Amino acid sequence: METLGILDEIEVLVSDKVQVVSYKWLSRNFLVSSNAAKRLLQEFVNTRGSGFEVVYTLSGWLKNNPSSYHIRLVSGPKLEEAKQEFNGNCSVQVYSVQACIPKDPAALWNAEFVQAEELFKQSFTVDNCLRDNRFCGIRNSFVKHNVDGPAASIAAPQPKSAEIPVPLKSNSGCQNISAPPSKQTKFHQSPNVGPESPNLESSVKSERNGTGVHDLATKQTVDEEKVLLLPAGKKKGQGNRISSGNGGSLSNLWGRASAKSKLSSAQADNDKHIPNPTVSAEAQISACEVREIESSDDEAQGVNFKRASNGDNSRKRMVVLDYSDDEYEDAVNLASPELPKGQSSATLLLRDDTSVVKSIDSKTSSLEKIQSNMTLCDVKKDMAADAAPNSPKRRKVLKTRIDERGREVTEVVWEGEETETNKVESQDSKKEAENNADTNTANNRAPPIKKSPAAGNGAPSNPGSKAGNKKGGNKDPKQGNILSFFKRV
Amino acid sequence: MLELRLVQGSLLKKVLEAIKDLVNDANFDCSSSGFSLQAMDSSHVALVALLLRSEGFEHYRCDRNMSMGMNLGNMSKMLKCAGNDDIITIKGDDGSDTVTFMFESPTQDKIADFEMKLMDIDSEHLGIPEAEYQAIVTMPSSEFARICKDLSSIGDTVVISVTKEGVKFSTRGDIGTANIVLRQNTTVDKPEDATVIEMNEPVSLTFALRYMNSFTKATSLSNTVKISLSSELPVVVEYKIAEMGYVRFYLAPKIEEDEDENETKPKV
Repeated sequence: METLGILDEIEVLVSDKVQVVSYKWLSRNFLVSSNAAKRLLQEFVNTRGSGFEVVYTLSGWLKNNPSSYHIRLVSGPKLEEAKQEFNGNCSVQVYSVQACIPKDPAALWNAEFVQAEELFKQSFTVDNCLRDNRFCGIRNSFVKHNVDGPAASIAAPQPKSAEIPVPLKSNSGCQNISAPPSKQTKFHQSPNVGPESPNLESSVKSERNGTGVHDLATKQTVDEEKVLLLPAGKKKGQGNRISSGNGGSLSNLWGRASAKSKLSSAQADNDKHIPNPTVSAEAQISACEVREIESSDDEAQGVNFKRASNGDNSRKRMVVLDYSDDEYEDAVNLASPELPKGQSSATLLLRDDTSVVKSIDSKTSSLEKIQSNMTLCDVKKDMAADAAPNSPKRRKVLKTRIDERGREVTEVVWEGEETETNKVESQDSKKEAENNADTNTANNRAPPIKKSPAAGNGAPSNPGSKAGNKKGGNKDPKQGNILSFFKRV
Repeated sequence: MLELRLVQGSLLKKVLEAIKDLVNDANFDCSSSGFSLQAMDSSHVALVALLLRSEGFEHYRCDRNMSMGMNLGNMSKMLKCAGNDDIITIKGDDGSDTVTFMFESPTQDKIADFEMKLMDIDSEHLGIPEAEYQAIVTMPSSEFARICKDLSSIGDTVVISVTKEGVKFSTRGDIGTANIVLRQNTTVDKPEDATVIEMNEPVSLTFALRYMNSFTKATSLSNTVKISLSSELPVVVEYKIAEMGYVRFYLAPKIEEDEDENETKPKV
C-alpha cells in the first residue's frame, strides 16, 4: 500500500514537477534504505512503462580493459549497447527516472544535492538520515558517527560498531579513483588525515572548538582520520606510521591548519566524497602528505611525504581529488593501473585494482554493496564524459608544470584556462579561507602558527596575489557565470 | 552574396581591437538588418554583443543570412593593414570558406584585398532579455577607463555602488583600499563630458577588474559609456558606435563575500 503511494508520488514528481527522481533522493525523502529505493524505482519503471526516461546504473568489469571495474550511467535506449561493453554479467539498476534526459548531466543529481545540503544544514542535534548513514548500503565498523558536534572526544581508532561516513553525499572532499595512464594529479584540497598521536589530535581538536562554520567541515575530517587510521596501519605496519607521525607532529599541526583553511574554501564546492574503506584510508593519508608539501615549506613534511610514495611497491592507482567550484567538474575514473615510477610528488598511490576491490570486498562482504558507493563516481564520470561534447570549450585536461619550488605538479584544469590561474586561484582561496578562519576563530587557534611560515618565506602567497591582480582568476568560486543569467537559444 | 562597404573603416578596426582580447573566435552574423556578433569569453564570465546596423554602411548587401566564423586575432591582423582613413569593404560568397576585406585609400589610388579563411565555430547564442535596470550611469568613457585602470593597480575587484549620492567605485587590495565617487554632473560645456545617473533604486555589485579593463579597450569607439546595473543581472557596459550601432559587454557579478558562511560544507 505504501509502496503504491510512493510510486504515485514519483509519478507526480516526474510528470508534474519535472524533477529528477534518483534512488538517493528517494531514499532520503521517503526514509527507505537505498536498496529499497532502487527497488521502488525499478518497480516504477516496470509498472508505469512510459512517459518518462530512465537512467540506469551499469556496473561490472569491462571487456577491453583488464581488471577495470566500471560503473556507468546510461539512458534507457542505450542500455543494451552499453551492456555489450561489459564482460559477462553486469549489474543493472535504475539510477533515476525523469521526464526527459537532461541536457546538462549535472541536473541528474541537482535535486539530491539540494536535498543533501538541506539535511546537512540541520543542526547537529537533529539525527537525520545522512548523519547516521542509516540508509546507505555500505557500513564500516570503524566509523564512529559523531552526532554530538565538534566537542566530541577523539580517541585512538577503535573498532566500534558504527558506520562509515555516508559515502555518497556527506564528505567535504571528492575522491576520484583514477589511474589514467601517465597522468598525474594534484590535490587542490583533501581531507587531512595524518597518523598522529591522540594527544595531538585532541589538541588540534580543542583548537577548533568554537570556530563556527568551519568546524562543520573539519570535524568530519577528524572523524575520518580516526576511522581510517586502522586500515592503513594494518596494511603498512602501524608502528612505522605512527612513529613517523609523532616525529613530525608540529609540521602535522601546520599541515592541519592549512588543511582546514583549504577545507573551508572547499566548502563552497558541491563535491562529493567516496571513501572506500581501504582505498580512502591510504588515499587520505597520502592526500594529507601531499597537502603538507603544498601548503608548507617545512622540510620535515617532505620527509613524511616520501615515506608515502615509496612505501608500496605494487602497482598503484592514483586517486584524483579535485576540488573546484563547479559541480560537475569532478571527473572520476577507474582506469588501468600505472607503475609508480616517475609519478610526481603530488600523486596519490593506491593499490592495484583487483586488490582494491578485493579488500573492499572483504570488508564490506559483498561487491554489491560497493555499488552504491561507487555510483556517484559513475555519475560524475559520465557527466564529465557527457559534458565534453556539449560544451567543447570547457573540457577538462590534465596539465603538468613545475612549480616555484621545483616540484612537478599535475592539475586537472578546464581547457583554455591556464594552470597558473588555477594555481593562483587555489592560493587565493586559501588566503581567503585563512582570513575567514582568522575572523571566525578564537585566539588560540592554529592559523597563526601556520601563517607565520607562509609569511616568512612569502613565496607561495606573493606571486599568487600578484598574478591574481593580473589575471583575476577565471575560476574564482565567487565569480558568477554569464550562463546563469542568460539562457542559450 | 555579401558586400558591406564601410566608409569609416577605422570603426571596424577599433571594434576588433576592443573585443579581440576578450574573445578568440566568434561568428559574425550578417542579416539584412545588420552585421552583428555575440560571443562569450572562454571562461563564460563575460559576453560581448556587437551590432553594426545596415543603415550605417554606405553600401549594404546581404542576400541571405550568413554566419561567418572568424578568428578575431587574425581578423585584427588583417584590419591593421588598413589605414585609419581607408574605406573597408567586407565581401563574402555563399558557401565560400573565406571572407575578403578590401581597403581603399580615401584618394582611391591604393586598393588592397585581404582574403581570410573562415572557421567553423559552434557558437552558443544566448537570449538576452530586455531588462529594466535599477541604475544606469552614463559617463565619459575615458573617465571610466581611468578609474578601472587606477583601481586595478590596487585590487582585483571593483564594487560599483549607485546611490542617490552618486556612483562609487571601490576596491580593496593588499596595500590598501580605494574609493572613487562620481556625482551627477550635467552642467558641462560638452554633453559627452556629463555624468548622468538614473537610479530607480540603490544597487551595489562586485566585478572582476580584469574584465572591466578589457572592456575599456573600446573607449576609442565612443566618448561616453553607459553602465547599467541591476542586482540580479550582469552589468552592461555599452559603447555606442557612431550612429550605427553599439558594442555591449556583459559581465557576471561576483558573489558577495558573506555568502561563504552559508556554503559551509556539511559534516557526516
